Amino acid sequence: MRLFANLKIDFMSKRTFFYFVSTAFILLGVLGIFVKGINFGIDFKGGSEIALEFEKPIEITEIRSEVDKLGLGNIEVKTFGGSTGILLRTDLQEIPINLLPTVKSKIESLINNISPGLERKITESTNTAVIYEFPTPESADIIANRLYEAGFQTAEVSEEPTNTGVVVRLGISDWLKENLSEKYTDNPFTVLKEDKVGPKIGQELKSDAVIAVILSLLVILVYLGFRFKFAFAIGAVAALFHDVLITLGIFTVLYGVIPGLNLEFSVSIVAAFLTLVGYSINDTVIVFDRVREQMKIHKTAPLEDNINYAINRTMSRTIITTLTTALTVVILLIFGGEVLRGFAFALIIGFIVGTYSSIFVASAFVLEYSNRVKSKLQF
Amino acid sequence: MKELRFRLILIIGALALTIYLLFPTYQDYRNNKEVAKNLETVEKKIKTSNPTITKIELKDIIQSKKDSILTNNQDFRDAREKRIKLGLDLQGGMYIVMEVNTAKLLEKIAKDTDEQFNQILSDSEKESKISDENVVSIFSRRMREKNVRLSRYFGSIREDDTQIEARLLEQEADAVTRAIEIIRNRVDQYGVSEPNIQKQGSRRIVVELPGIAREEEAKRLLQGRALLEFKLVKEADQVIPIMNRIDEILAGKQETDTTTQQGDLTEEQFAKQHPFFAVARLIDQTGSIADAFVQEEDRDLISQYLQRPDVKNILPDNLEFVYDAKPEVGEDGKKFFRMYAVNKTAELTGGVIVDAQSNIDPSTSAPVVNMQMNSEGAREWARITGSNIGKRCAVILDGMAYTAPTIQNKIPSGNSQISGMPNLDEAKLLEIVLKAGALPAPIDIIEERTIGPSLGQDSISQGFNSITLGYLIVAIFMIFYYRKAGSFADFALVFTILLLLGILAAFRATLTLPGIAGIVLTMGMAVDANVIIFERIREELSTGKTVKAAVEAGFKHSYSAIFDSNITTFFTGIILYQFGSGPIQGFALTLMIGIATSLFSQLILVRLIFDFMLAKGYKVNLG
Repeated sequence: MRLFANLKIDFMSKRTFFYFVSTAFILLGVLGIFVKGINFGIDFKGGSEIALEFEKPIEITEIRSEVDKLGLGNIEVKTFGGSTGILLRTDLQEIPINLLPTVKSKIESLINNISPGLERKITESTNTAVIYEFPTPESADIIANRLYEAGFQTAEVSEEPTNTGVVVRLGISDWLKENLSEKYTDNPFTVLKEDKVGPKIGQELKSDAVIAVILSLLVILVYLGFRFKFAFAIGAVAALFHDVLITLGIFTVLYGVIPGLNLEFSVSIVAAFLTLVGYSINDTVIVFDRVREQMKIHKTAPLEDNINYAINRTMSRTIITTLTTALTVVILLIFGGEVLRGFAFALIIGFIVGTYSSIFVASAFVLEYSNRVKSKLQF
Repeated sequence: MKELRFRLILIIGALALTIYLLFPTYQDYRNNKEVAKNLETVEKKIKTSNPTITKIELKDIIQSKKDSILTNNQDFRDAREKRIKLGLDLQGGMYIVMEVNTAKLLEKIAKDTDEQFNQILSDSEKESKISDENVVSIFSRRMREKNVRLSRYFGSIREDDTQIEARLLEQEADAVTRAIEIIRNRVDQYGVSEPNIQKQGSRRIVVELPGIAREEEAKRLLQGRALLEFKLVKEADQVIPIMNRIDEILAGKQETDTTTQQGDLTEEQFAKQHPFFAVARLIDQTGSIADAFVQEEDRDLISQYLQRPDVKNILPDNLEFVYDAKPEVGEDGKKFFRMYAVNKTAELTGGVIVDAQSNIDPSTSAPVVNMQMNSEGAREWARITGSNIGKRCAVILDGMAYTAPTIQNKIPSGNSQISGMPNLDEAKLLEIVLKAGALPAPIDIIEERTIGPSLGQDSISQGFNSITLGYLIVAIFMIFYYRKAGSFADFALVFTILLLLGILAAFRATLTLPGIAGIVLTMGMAVDANVIIFERIREELSTGKTVKAAVEAGFKHSYSAIFDSNITTFFTGIILYQFGSGPIQGFALTLMIGIATSLFSQLILVRLIFDFMLAKGYKVNLG
C-alpha cells in the first residue's frame, strides 16, 4: 500500500494561504491565553491537591456543594479517573485563621466522642498543628488511631512505648478529608495522592520551564545552523515557535471544554512541550535534508521547485512517522490513566501542528528568507 | 556471510547483556509474588486470632513482616538491588523537599539584635519567598542600603562585609550538611526500604520515602530537632550478669538451673541453650567490656526479647541498649552493629555544645575531634568526667551511638578532645554529629507529594496496558503498510524495548509513570527511522534499481536525516532532564535511552536482517 505515491502539489505557491491559517490560529491562541489565562496546576501556583477514590460512585455536584459549605473559599472539584474518583484543589497554603477555631473544636468534640471525659492538655497550638498530652500511653494510642481514621493526620510525639503525646495536624487537605469522611460514612474513600507545593517552588518552576523551552529552541537553532544553512535553522525554529504557541493556545482554549480531561498546566505539560519541540523538528529535518540533497543535484533549479519536490517526495514519510507516533500517544490518552491524560493530549495537538508546520511553515520561511536576501542559498 | 558476522555477534552480545541485566527484575517480581502470598495467609491468621485489630495496626504488622522477609533473604536482597527500580509514583510513597530556614539561622547567631535588625530580616525573608536570591545576600544588600555594617550584628568589627557574608553562607551550608546527617540517621532507623536523601542546590534537601503510609510520622521524623546525648556506658561487671539472666529466661531455665554444660557446643546447640548470646555476641570473651555484636537482621529479635514481660521484669530501670550508627561488615558481607549497654538517663545533652572541629593531632598525627561546651555545660562536664575517669561515655544522636570514648581525666574547661577515629572522614562525621544536637536552623517543608499505593498499582497496570497496546497497534500498522519489511521493524522494536529496559536496570535508574509514557512514545518514534528508510527504498526501487542496490541506497541516503532529527530530540531530552525532577527526569531518561537503543536496532538489526535475507536469496517486499 502506498499513500501519496506520485504527489505533485505546488505547495509553495499557496504559502500565503497557509500564512493566513497560521496567523489566525496563533492570534486565536494568544487571544485565548489573554482572555482565559493559562490554568496553572499547583506545580506552578502552589497549594494543595488531593485525589480521593470512593468505594461507590459519587455525585460530583453533591461533593462540590459539600465542599463549598466549608468556607475554604474557592476549591476546585473535578472527577478523577472514573465515577468514583474526585480531585480537590486549592491554592491556599494553610487553613484560614477565621476557620481555625472551628477546626480545633471539631477535634475536641471528636476526642470527646471517642473517650468521653478524657483528661487532656494542649501543649502546643499553632495554625498548623495541635499537640495533645494524654494521661496514659494507651489512651494516646487510641486517640491517635481513631482521629487518623476520621481523616486527620495524627502521629504520636515519640516512638517510645511510654509516649503520651499526640500531634494533630491542621492542613487544608486534612480538613477536607475529615469533613468528607464524616459525610460519606457509608461510602468510604482512600487517598490516591496528595500534593502540597509551596509558593516558592512554583515560581522557580515557572522560570525554569520558560528557560528550558527557550534553551531547547536555541540548541536546535545552533545545531541546525551548523548542519544546514542559517536560513534553514531560522525556518525550523520559527516553525517550532509556531507549534509551541499554537499548541499552548489550543490547550488553554480547550481547558474545561472537554469533560473528563483535566487540562491544567503542570510540569508534565512542560515535558510534553519539550518533547514536542524535540519531535516536531524531525519532520522538518526530513524535508530539509531532502531539499539539501536536491539542491546539490539540481544546482541551477529554483529553490521553490526544489522545496516543492522535496515536500512531495517526503510527504508519505512525514505523514506516516507522525501517524505511528500519534497512534501510541492516542493509546496513552485512552489507556494511560488520569495522570498522563493532559500530557498525551498536549502531545497529540503538538504533533499535528508540528507536522503541518514542517510542511507549510518551515520551508516557506526558508523560501521567503532566500527571496528577501537575494543571495542564492547553496550547499 | 562473513561481512554479516561481526554485526551478528554484536546483536547477540547485546541480547545476552539485556537478558543478564533484566534477569534480576524478573526474579524480584517472582520473589514479591511469593512473599505476597505468604503475607496473605499471615494476614488471615491474624484476623481470625484477633478480630478487633484496627486496619492501621494490621498494616503495620504486615509491613514489618514484609520488610523483615525481604531484608533477611540474601537472594531476595540481591535481586532487589539489581532490578529496575520503580519510582514513587508507581510504588507509592512520599517525596519531600525541605529547605533550611536561613532567616531563623541568622536571627539565632546574630548578637545584640534590635528593632532595625528584625525589620530588615523580616523584609529579607519576605523578599526571598519570591526571588531566587539567597536570604543572606538579600539581607546584606538591604543592610548596605541602610548603611549598616554587617559587623554590627555578626563577626567582629575588623571583618568587612564580604568576609562576614561569606562566613554566613558557610554556616548556612554547614546547617544543611548537618540536617542531612540527622535525617539520614533517622530514616535508617525507621527502616524505610531504599530511602533516597539528596542535597539540592545550596540549601535544599530532597527526601524520597517509598511506601510510607503515615506521612505525619515520616515528617516528624524529618523535621524534629535532633537529640544528642552523652550517656555513660555501663560497666561489664554490672551488665554481664543481667545479660546472663536474660539468656536464661529466654532459654526457659529456672534461676537455680545448673544443668548448663560448658564445653564445645555446635552452633545449633548453642543457639538453643543461649538464645540471647547467640544473637548478641559478646565482643570480649574475657568479660572486661559488655559490648556485643548484633547482626543487622537480629536487631528486631533483640528488641522483641527485651519487650517480653519476664525479661522486662529483671532489667534495671537505668539500663538501655543502644546500637552503633555504622555497622562493621564481616568477611561474608554481613553487617554487624555494636550494641552498648548504657545508662538510660543522659549525663548531658547536645545543647551545651558550642562548637566542634575535626582535626589532625600534630603530635600523634591521628584524627581527633575538639569539642567546646558553654560555661554551664563545662561545669557539668567537669563533674561528670571527674567522677567517671576510666569509664566510657557514649555519644548518642537520636538513639544511635556514634562513638564511646574512654574518659581519660577530668576536663575542667569544657574543651575536650575525642580521639580513636580510624580516619579523618570518621572524625568529620563525629564533628557533624556533635554539632547536630544544637541544630541552629529549623527546616521547612516546601514541597510534599504523597502517592497512595493503589494509585501506583493502577498506574503500573495502565502503563503496562499502554505499552502492549502501543506495540500492537504500531506493529500491525507496520506489517499492513510495509509487509515483510514491516515485520523486520516490529522484531527490532521488541529488541529496542528490551534493550531500553536493560540499560535502565544497568544505570540503576528508576522507572516512573512518565518514564513508561516515554517507552510508549519511543515505540512510536523508533519505527520512524525504518519508515524513512523503507520509503526511501521504495523510491529507489521505483527508479529501476535492483532490490539489493535499492536497499543499499535507501539506507545510505537516510542516515543524515535520521541522525539530525534524533540528535535534536536527544538534546531536548538532556534539557528536560536538567529541568525536571523525579518523574519528569524518568521520562527524559527513557526518551534518551530510547533514542539510542532504537537507532541501534533500527539501523543495525534491521539492516542485518535485510542483508541476510538478500544474501540468502529470499524475497523481500515492501508492500
